[in-house]
Amino acid sequence: MKEVMAVIRMDMINQTKEALLQKSFAALNCRKVLGRGKKKVNFTVVDDTNSPKVQETLTEEHRLIPKRLLCIVINDSDVKTVVDTIITVNSKGKPGDGKIFVVPIFDCVRVSNGETGGSAV
Amino acid sequence: MLMIRAIIRPEKVGVVLSDLLESGFPAVTKMDVMGRGRQRGIQYGDVFYDEIPKEMLLMVIKDEDKNDVLDIIMRNARTGEHGAFGDGKIFITPVEEVYTVSSGNNQL
Repeated sequence: MKEVMAVIRMDMINQTKEALLQKSFAALNCRKVLGRGKKKVNFTVVDDTNSPKVQETLTEEHRLIPKRLLCIVINDSDVKTVVDTIITVNSKGKPGDGKIFVVPIFDCVRVSNGETGGSAV
Repeated sequence: MLMIRAIIRPEKVGVVLSDLLESGFPAVTKMDVMGRGRQRGIQYGDVFYDEIPKEMLLMVIKDEDKNDVLDIIMRNARTGEHGAFGDGKIFITPVEEVYTVSSGNNQL
């Protein structure tokens, strides 16, 4: 079993959920997080007509940006499909699109009946 | 690659994050969590707090950077000289694969 943890843009969550659902991965867990990446954020997209004070706060380097953290636990054979789906939907070719981490999970238990292993995922 | 999950005091997040940035580890994800530890919550007067608010820092690093990152977090998140109850915990788990969404690159 593997856990796919993906940090993605806030506004991409609905498209990602929809795409995963179409590949029949309905189960997921997501939460709002704040984070920063390796690169400094380019805030030049913001209109120059803003007040200097707003500009100053926006151009602060390595500010924490709101993101969505998506956690999906799946069987080993599905990892490639899920990772590819997330990359296809979220990739705009720009920094800040997100990161995906694949973490091993040693066991999984269904709370309702105590079933364990791959079938409980 | 290793994933580091550090649960620390909310008031220590600022110093930890700025020291990580200065030491060359800019990439961090931060989230609010509530929890209790071995101390079983806090009794403060008549009020018993079962769950205490903390911040969880999540970062994925190369194996060789582990000691540096742990040292930075522990040095900055400690209360006082010798630390105190509630300063937090750090959990380290292996990460098998990493992908950057924008490029599909599988390097950290």
